[in-house]
Amino acid sequence: MQYLVDLVVSGIAVGAIYGLVAMGFALIYKATGLVNFAQGEMAMVIAYIAWTIAGTVPGHPWLVVGGALVAALLLGLVIERLIMRPMLGEPVFATVMVTIALAVILRSLVLLVWDPYPHALDIGVGRDVIHFGGTGVRSAQVAVMATLLATCAVMWAFFRFSRIGKAMRAVAADERTAQLMGISAARIHAVAWVGSSLIAGIAGIFFALIYDVSPNLYHVGLKAFPATILGGLDSVLGSGLSGVVLGVAENLAGGYLAPSLKEITGFAVIIAVLMVRPFGLFGEREIERV
Amino acid sequence: MRSGHYKESVPSLIVLSDSTAVWVWGGILVLAMAMAPYFLNAYLLSFLVLILITGTGALGLHVLTGCTGLISLGHVGFLLLGAYAYAVPVAKFGAPPLIGFLSAGVVPALVSIVVGVPSLRLKGLYLAITTLAFAFIISHVVLSMSWLTNGARGLPVMRPELLGIDFESDARFAHLCLVVAVATLFAVLNIQRSRVGRAFVAVRDNDIAARTMGINLQAYKLRAFMTSAFISGIAGALFGIYLSFVSVEGFPFLMSIEALAILIVGGLGSTAGVVLGTVLIVLLPEVARIALGMLGPQAEMLFSTAAHELRTVLYGLVIILFLRFEPRGLVGVWRDVKRLWVNWPLRH
Repeated sequence: MQYLVDLVVSGIAVGAIYGLVAMGFALIYKATGLVNFAQGEMAMVIAYIAWTIAGTVPGHPWLVVGGALVAALLLGLVIERLIMRPMLGEPVFATVMVTIALAVILRSLVLLVWDPYPHALDIGVGRDVIHFGGTGVRSAQVAVMATLLATCAVMWAFFRFSRIGKAMRAVAADERTAQLMGISAARIHAVAWVGSSLIAGIAGIFFALIYDVSPNLYHVGLKAFPATILGGLDSVLGSGLSGVVLGVAENLAGGYLAPSLKEITGFAVIIAVLMVRPFGLFGEREIERV
Repeated sequence: MRSGHYKESVPSLIVLSDSTAVWVWGGILVLAMAMAPYFLNAYLLSFLVLILITGTGALGLHVLTGCTGLISLGHVGFLLLGAYAYAVPVAKFGAPPLIGFLSAGVVPALVSIVVGVPSLRLKGLYLAITTLAFAFIISHVVLSMSWLTNGARGLPVMRPELLGIDFESDARFAHLCLVVAVATLFAVLNIQRSRVGRAFVAVRDNDIAARTMGINLQAYKLRAFMTSAFISGIAGALFGIYLSFVSVEGFPFLMSIEALAILIVGGLGSTAGVVLGTVLIVLLPEVARIALGMLGPQAEMLFSTAAHELRTVLYGLVIILFLRFEPRGLVGVWRDVKRLWVNWPLRH
């Protein structure tokens, strides 16, 4: 029983990270209609930047987080402005291939700039263990769960109340009509990229805190894919919560069936979900008109 | 000067090429490649072999992505399956290599049905994600079935002896690859001018319209998957023999990206583009290494320590730059050059 509780709790924690990354996927898909295959890589780059800051100025956790988030903001802006905006209006295949290319470039740049060895991100907080009954949880794990909930709430409020959030929904529903109503689609895309880069950055920092910084960190993007599919590519909140479901599922599969199954549980879930509901569990069904 | 390109009958429309020059130059090229192993040193020969094998594999993806418009990130899965489908019977159970090559084609084709069926309901991005998932599941299954595949330790593979001919030497092996590549090229070209190939293109251009014309979408998509997997499997087997060792590490995910890069660089949907793209992508790292070498020994050092990373960056940059500035690919450039050559100084 204790084993089960441990698996579920650590599953929720890792699932919260997947959920954050998955929300990044969904945010970009919702605003621009394309899947950003470089989401995990963006999280990895931000985590490395955080690690570098932590190594240069030790003892300032807020500086590390703040600096990394500013870097995330800039990364999102630069990618959108330099790489994605020139591709506006190109076929989906072309833009998606550009994000895949971006992913492999970021992956290699991390290896070229930093080194291939795993490092611990030590900012002085997050490593202490809190006990609930018999279950020990790191404070960073508690924090990531809280962050996921907070991000979900912020996202909900953003789409519901803020002017930009409403404009984003309008662009998602019909880009041309939204533009006719005076919404700048390019600016909405930029906001989506920045937002998704920030969320990815947060996820990357938490992953680095709980586990470590390594060139394999981008796997978190691959693991978050199933969450986005499960939640529906265009459902930001659904993706966030599906991340938790998948985190728990993969921990249970790894703990009870076979440790190696952990790696592919998510992918098996993708195929199963897409066979039953080709647009995800909470995604909107696209109706094609001739 | 020819003022136009007139086609007056159906056979002249679907003929492989009505130009004598194309046949003659094609023949010369094949002949040159057949003679090349006797003149090239081992290092240059390895590039020829790589081009031939990679080209075969890219043609496999071309059938699926270029012709039928189904984006696949799982290409490496089929290559890996093909390599193991060859290595397991030949290296482990001592089956004749011919049987090995047959199973290298048939096993991926059968598995592709398993991937293809869920993919029938999916479009574009969702299909790309499913095939990505498939590639990971395949390598996981291969690793976990260690009683058959030796798991992470991999399987050593010898150069084969086919139909009484020993392909042990590098030159002979290059000939084998040449025969397979040319045969695959003709097979793909012939598929494209058949009823099936036209159906593939119709599905790619507009699947709803294709369906109203009486094309069975499911049957043709599955057929595209199987054809692609068959060709990719053969290429995977050849690549395994080339490496003389089949393991999951020998087939990194980068190969899927490489194959897509070839299609994009060459010009999506064009068979000639696959050939041009393969040559460019295979030679690109080497050209970059030489170019960096001119910058000084330090830059060359970087290339020897971080070869894989630099190669990856190059592929990524090439994909982005081509999609941004020349989406029609090298074939588009070639057409422009040809038009300029014929019509100069006139513009049209």
